[in-house]
Amino acid sequence: MFSKLIKSNEFLVLLIIIVLSIVIGLINPAFFSVATIYDILRASNVYNLMAFGLLLVVILGGVDISFVAITAVASYGTHMAMLKIDYQGGIWLYFLIGIAIGVICGLLNGLLITKFKLPIFDLTLATQTMLYGFSLFFLGATANFDLPEGMVGYYGKYLAVTQDPFIGTTGLHISVLYVLAAGIAIWWLLKYTMIGRGIYAIGGNREVAKRSGFNIDKITMIVFVIMGVLSAIAGVTQSGFQRNFSPTLFIGQNLNVLASVILGGASIHGGKGTVIGTFLGVVLTQLINRALILTGIPVEWQQFVIGVLLIIFIAIPAIREERNRKVGHTTELITEEE
Amino acid sequence: MAEELLRVEHISKNFAGVTALDDVSFSIDKGESMCLVGENGSGKSTMIKIISGVYTADEGKITINGNQYKKITPLESMHEGIQVIYQDFGLFPNLTVAENISISELLSTGKKLVNWNQVRELAQSGLDKIGVSIPLDAIAGTLSTADRQLIAITKAILADARLIIMDEPTTALTRREIEALFKIIQDLNEQGIAIIFVSHKLNEVRQISQRTVILRNGKKVLDQDAEKLDIKTIEYQMTGREIDTSSIKYSHPAKTSQPLLKVEKLYLANGFFDLSFELYKNEVLGITGLLGSGRTELALSLFGQLPADSGKIIIDGEEVPIRNIFDATSRGLGYVPEDRIREGLFLPHSITDNIAVSIIDTLTTTASFIDSQAKENLAEEWIEKLNVKTPTGDLPAQSLSGGNQQRLVLAKWLAHNPKILILNGPTVGVDVGSKSEIHELIRSLARKGMGILMISDDIPELMQTCNRILLMRRGKIVNEFIREKTSEEELTQELVAIDINNH
Repeated sequence: MFSKLIKSNEFLVLLIIIVLSIVIGLINPAFFSVATIYDILRASNVYNLMAFGLLLVVILGGVDISFVAITAVASYGTHMAMLKIDYQGGIWLYFLIGIAIGVICGLLNGLLITKFKLPIFDLTLATQTMLYGFSLFFLGATANFDLPEGMVGYYGKYLAVTQDPFIGTTGLHISVLYVLAAGIAIWWLLKYTMIGRGIYAIGGNREVAKRSGFNIDKITMIVFVIMGVLSAIAGVTQSGFQRNFSPTLFIGQNLNVLASVILGGASIHGGKGTVIGTFLGVVLTQLINRALILTGIPVEWQQFVIGVLLIIFIAIPAIREERNRKVGHTTELITEEE
Repeated sequence: MAEELLRVEHISKNFAGVTALDDVSFSIDKGESMCLVGENGSGKSTMIKIISGVYTADEGKITINGNQYKKITPLESMHEGIQVIYQDFGLFPNLTVAENISISELLSTGKKLVNWNQVRELAQSGLDKIGVSIPLDAIAGTLSTADRQLIAITKAILADARLIIMDEPTTALTRREIEALFKIIQDLNEQGIAIIFVSHKLNEVRQISQRTVILRNGKKVLDQDAEKLDIKTIEYQMTGREIDTSSIKYSHPAKTSQPLLKVEKLYLANGFFDLSFELYKNEVLGITGLLGSGRTELALSLFGQLPADSGKIIIDGEEVPIRNIFDATSRGLGYVPEDRIREGLFLPHSITDNIAVSIIDTLTTTASFIDSQAKENLAEEWIEKLNVKTPTGDLPAQSLSGGNQQRLVLAKWLAHNPKILILNGPTVGVDVGSKSEIHELIRSLARKGMGILMISDDIPELMQTCNRILLMRRGKIVNEFIREKTSEEELTQELVAIDINNH
C-alpha cells in the first residue's frame, strides 16, 4: 500500500511542491507564512475549477480548447445583461445566470461532438474562436469596470484573515469553498458513479466501452455540461477578483490549465487522472509562478520551468513502461525457474 | 443423449455479391467443445458474427435453447447466453481486474452508483468459478496475455454464458498457458458450458475439441469427431490441396571453415547467458524454447535492439560491435519481428512504401528527392517475387491478410538484401496454405546463400525448414538437434519436458 503511494504520480508532485517550498524558503524566509498559503490558494482556485472540468475531458480521451472562451462568454455576457437591468445585488445572481450560459455552451460542444462524431480537439478549437468572437462582437469590445454594489467587496471576502509583514493583510478567499465542493463532487462522480467509471472506460478503450453498453454520447454530453458549469463559475469568480468583466477573459490560458492537468498525472491519451493529482498540479504551477517572483528570478523563467517539468512528467510514464518491458523479461525467466 | 444448445441451419450470407457463407449447418450440444477451423476468408468470422447477432444471415435459421430465430439481435444472442471473446479480449487496460470483470454485469443491472465491495465480491466469485487467482487490484493493461484472457473468460461466465466462442484463443500464449487454458475449458464443459474455438493451430484443434467443423470458401467441408481426425486430413480439408511436408530436399550446407555468423559467450543481463553458436551460409538454424527462454532477447541482441552486455559477435570472420540497429543492418543483418503488426509494418501506409522503407536512402534522385518510379518498380518486383496477393501496391498494408502481411515484412527486409536474416515466429497467425508457402520461401532463400536464424516454437515448422535446431532454456542453449537425426516427437518432448520438470 505504502509503496504504491510512493510510486503514484500524486506523491511525486507533492514531493516537488515540498522540495520547491523548502528551497524558496531558504532563499527568501518570507515565503514561510500563512499568507503565502492563502495567496497561492487564492491564485489556484479559478484554475482548479477549470482544471477539474478539463480533467474529465482528458480522461475521456480528448482535449478541450474552448473552456476559456466559455468563462468569458458566461461572465461577460451575464454582466452585460445585468448592466441593462441596473442590477446592484450580490454575486449569486451572476453565478446563476453564468452557469446557465455555461450549460448552454457545454450542450453546444457536446451536441456537435456527439451528433457529428467530431474530434473533441478540432471542434473545441472552432468553438473557442467562435465564442470569443461572439463575446467581442455581440457583447462588447472592452473590459467593463462598473461593478454592481453588491459585488464590490467580493474580492476581499475572506474566511480567515492574516497580517503579513511582507504581503500585508490577506486571507483565505471564499472561493476556496467552491473548489472544495467541486473537487469533492468530481471525485465522487469519478469514483462512485457509473457515469464516472464510464468516463474512465471510454478513455481506456472506446470500442469496448461501446460494446459493454456504456452510453458514450450521453456521458460525453454530461462531461461537457460539467465543463461548461465549472468554466462559468471560474469566469464569474475571476471577474469578481479582478473587479472588471472582460470579453477576452483567460484568453490563451487553456494550454496552461492543460499543463497543470498533465502535471497532475492525467494521461493525454485518456483513461487516467485524479482530482487530487489535478489539484496538486495546479498548486505546483502557481507555486512556481510565486517562487520565481519571491526569489527574484525573471518571470519569463516561469514558462521555461513549467515546460521542463512537463517534459519530465511526460517522460516518466514512458521510462516506466520501458523499464517494465525490461523487468518483464526477468519475471518471465523467474517464473520458468520456479 | 446430450441436450442440444445451438443449431444453425442452411445459413447463407453474401456481401456485395461475394458469398461468405453458403448453406452451412451444424449444431453444438451443452457442455461440448467444438473447433471451427478454416483459412482466412473461409467464412468462420462471418459465422461467429451471425451467431452473435452482429450480422444477419440472408438465409437459414438459428435455434438456441429451443428458441427459433430467423434473425437474432446482439442483445437476444447475449440473453440466450452466447458470449464471444475476441482477440483483443474486450478489456479496459486502464482499469483494475475487479472492475473489468464486473463492469458489464453492473451495467446490465442499470445501477447508477458503484459499490466497490460488490465489484470485488462479484469479480472474486467469477474468478473462483473458473478456479484461478489474479490480484483484483492489478491494472489489466499490466497483466500477461494469458491473465487478460482469463479475465475475459471470467467476464463471460459472470454473464451466465452457455456458449463461449473464442476467436484464436491461443495465439499469444505459451505452451504452459495453453495447457492451463485447456484445463479450464474442460472444467467449463463439465459444468455444461459449450465452447466454440476458432483456430488455425492444427495441433490444438485435435487436443481440445471433441468435434471439428471445417469451413472452406464459405462451405462446410467436414464435421467429425476430433478423435478420428489426423492433421493431414484437416490440412487437406482446409486448403483443398495436399501440403507436402515430408519430402523436403536440402542442399546440405557447405561447411566452409568460416561461419557466416559466429556468436561467442554472448551475455545479456536478465536475458541469456554464455550463448555460443555458429550459422553457416545456406543454412536455416532453428532456435526454439518456451516463451521467456531468452530466444526473443537473443534475436533482439543480434539485431542491436537490446545490445548484449558482453561476448562477441563475429560476422564473416570479423568481430563486429552491434550497439544499435544501424550497426546490425549495415553488417547485413535483417530482422522480421514476431509482432509484425506493431513492429514490422506501417499498417495505414501503402504496400509500396512498406517495402521501400528500409532502403529508402538508395531510392533517391540526384537532387536527393525520393525517386517514386524506382520505388514502385522495386515494390512491384517484390510483390511478384513473394506472391503477395494484392491488386496494386497502392493499397494500405492493413488491407492484406495475415499471411500476406508476413510476406510484406519479408519483402521489406529482402529488398535490403541481408546476408543473415533473423525470423521470429515467421508464421504466427498465418493460415496453413500461406504457411507452407512461407516455409518454401525461407528454404529457397537459404539455397541462394543466405544464413537464416529462425526462432519458433512450432515444432513441425522447425522440422520442415531447419537444418539444425538449438533448444534454449532459461537463457542458455541446452541442446542441439540435427534435423535428420531427430523427430517431431523427440523435439516436442524435449521442449515440454523442461516445463514439467520445473513444476
